[in-house]
Amino acid sequence: MCGLAGIARRHPRGVSAETLEHMAAAIRHRGPDGFGTRADDRVGLAHVRLSVIDVAHGAQPMTNEDGQVLVVFNGEIFNYQALRGELEAHGHLFCTHSDTEVLVHGYEQWGEDVLDRLNGQFAFAIYDRRAASLFLARDRFGIVPLYYAERGGDLYFASEVKALLASNEVERALDPAGLDEVFTFWAARPPRTPFAGVRALEPGCCARWRDGRLALRRYYALDYPAAAEEPPAAIDALDELLRSSVSGRMRADVPVGGYLSGGLDSSIVCSLAAAQSPYQLRTFSVGFDDPRFDESGFQQAVAAAVGSRHAVQRIAPGDIARVFPDVVRHAETPLVRTAPAPLYLLSQLSREQDIKVVLTGEGSDELFLGYDLFKDTLIRSSCLRRPDLPWLPRLLDRLYPELAPAAGKGEFWRRSFVNAGAADDPLFSHLPRFHVTARIKDFYAPEFRATLKDGDPLGRLRDELPAGFGRWSVLARAAYLEMVTLLSPYLLSSQGDRMAMAHGVEARVPYLDHRLFQFAAALPARSKLRGLREKDILRRWAVRALPAALTRRPKQPYRAPDVAPFFEGQPPAYVEALLQPASLRQTGIFDPTAVAALVKRCRAGLVTRVWESQTLVAIVSTELWHREFLSAPTGTRLQAHDWASGAAPVGSPVAS
Amino acid sequence: MDTGEGPLHQESATLKESEIAARTRDYLRENFLYMRPDWKLGDDDPLLGTGVLDSIGVVELVAFLQAEFACEVEEEDLTERNLGTVTAIARFVHGKCHGNGNGASRRPPPVI
Repeated sequence: MCGLAGIARRHPRGVSAETLEHMAAAIRHRGPDGFGTRADDRVGLAHVRLSVIDVAHGAQPMTNEDGQVLVVFNGEIFNYQALRGELEAHGHLFCTHSDTEVLVHGYEQWGEDVLDRLNGQFAFAIYDRRAASLFLARDRFGIVPLYYAERGGDLYFASEVKALLASNEVERALDPAGLDEVFTFWAARPPRTPFAGVRALEPGCCARWRDGRLALRRYYALDYPAAAEEPPAAIDALDELLRSSVSGRMRADVPVGGYLSGGLDSSIVCSLAAAQSPYQLRTFSVGFDDPRFDESGFQQAVAAAVGSRHAVQRIAPGDIARVFPDVVRHAETPLVRTAPAPLYLLSQLSREQDIKVVLTGEGSDELFLGYDLFKDTLIRSSCLRRPDLPWLPRLLDRLYPELAPAAGKGEFWRRSFVNAGAADDPLFSHLPRFHVTARIKDFYAPEFRATLKDGDPLGRLRDELPAGFGRWSVLARAAYLEMVTLLSPYLLSSQGDRMAMAHGVEARVPYLDHRLFQFAAALPARSKLRGLREKDILRRWAVRALPAALTRRPKQPYRAPDVAPFFEGQPPAYVEALLQPASLRQTGIFDPTAVAALVKRCRAGLVTRVWESQTLVAIVSTELWHREFLSAPTGTRLQAHDWASGAAPVGSPVAS
Repeated sequence: MDTGEGPLHQESATLKESEIAARTRDYLRENFLYMRPDWKLGDDDPLLGTGVLDSIGVVELVAFLQAEFACEVEEEDLTERNLGTVTAIARFVHGKCHGNGNGASRRPPPVI
């Protein structure tokens, strides 16, 4: 993976090399191996490089044969070798062995339709000098980030918001509605961000800028054409797709490692990777000192089963609070969980051990209905549809055994789930989560609440659902909502790309090969959720490859302690400082009296409810985020002052 | 020394519905609505689906009722009809443990 940035001018007044260098410097962590810039009177491009494929020759910006098509590219095209063969047959001449060059010639040959041919995770900008236009695109699922801002017809774009701000031409301001989405969905839903005027290019979308105007287009839409019956050869098809997806993602000119959670998904990925790797696979895990979060035993078992050389990043009580400001700086958004923090430390460990590409198990739970949310949806919808079956609500007791000892359960407890949303609400599946998260808003300062005039996040989401949504099954709708509200903006971003790229590690996601997505989306729901057994078809496949203890293990959600890091032991001084009433008043988002009441409960050890722990994390992260991005005088926080003294870049800036 | 004669046990058999409602209201305000003093919680407002209680909140509420009113509650009692509003709770707890002929449990409340 890499980082890109640039500016396109409506009027030909040029882009200074200094501005491009500042933008590149702000995202230097994404590409510590080299950087380059190109600029003419209309467009400036900057690129920071993480060398993974064709390490010696893949420098960017890269051009076609006559220099009329320039590209800056972040990501990987996994089928680039096949595409290269096709393009060579069309007469294109290649100067390197990199996937970037396939993009240049592919665009020349097929124009925007090149997107339909790409199997990969990517964001890129192509400057077409012949048409005086710029073409931006992002992969189908939003694995790789791309942001943009428009001002007076000029377009600013970059892999991270901090690069846009480093141009000193994009305003630093918060979007209250974006923040309100974070406190509903866990992250702002693209194209919205918590920054006013800064948009995220939506997954599966591209944009054409010309003459100061930007036109957006969706080139890939999620669809769930579920079949009535599972095809007879489904397991064989799954086998082929899994192997092909992992194989494509093992392609690199540097060693590829894997993240092991101890669960089924990453175990499958690492098992296939180990079988295909020319060297002993390196695997990495997070282990917690707190046994309630720790999965070390399962991780070690998988590592032993696949024969990997395994390393563990232990997370002690003080670690999360220590790195949390860095985590927020890289995530560029308030958070409602601390779970990204251990992954920030994990990528640091991976990089220290010279592994800069890792495979992860992300995406499987969304494709194969792994989360409890899907079971919850199935039970609740069945209860509402069949109120004459009194045993149905009792399935909730089985689903949530940890939430209450047997004596506390009863009809009223079950009603708390069943009443959580009307069956005809398109957001039915996710209303319990959205409502719990939205309790954070009860802590808003009245003045901030008054600024929220742009409708409510749930209303906007309902209004923007795709045309086919109403025809999908209740579980397909739930899967779609999970993809667009959580996977893309939070799991792949705040917890994924940002934490990995903070230390220059590229995370590859085999389950999000679009062929695999399409295969899973076309399966009948019971192939994925059979009764209350999640990921059924994946488990049936996995009995071929993994120890039985792993294929039968129920899903354990990845979590990290949320409240304890900020109050137990000797928390960092910033925690106390940020939670002071004067500090909160200055930021103006949360009500100091309400926060004080919550903090008192935290200090007394009374906080066991999810909505309270999420609120605490939201408050601390929002205060950090605000200071990092909005409170700083322009140009003082993200300057390129340490660029020259850091690791020597391989490439050099080129101005033309 | 714990004599088992705490104030709750001493007064529990004589509580009126209005007192049960007031204590329940205070409990809900202090534990679930402490950040929103402007929240108007009416005695007949539903506690589910309005942001007051979720599933964990239900469990906490039941534990509170058992401890505060020394009232042993069976699983079949834990219905929306009995617990869905402050009024319903007061009526249920009074009828179950503080009404005519019903004494509050003299045993310690069950651990849940």
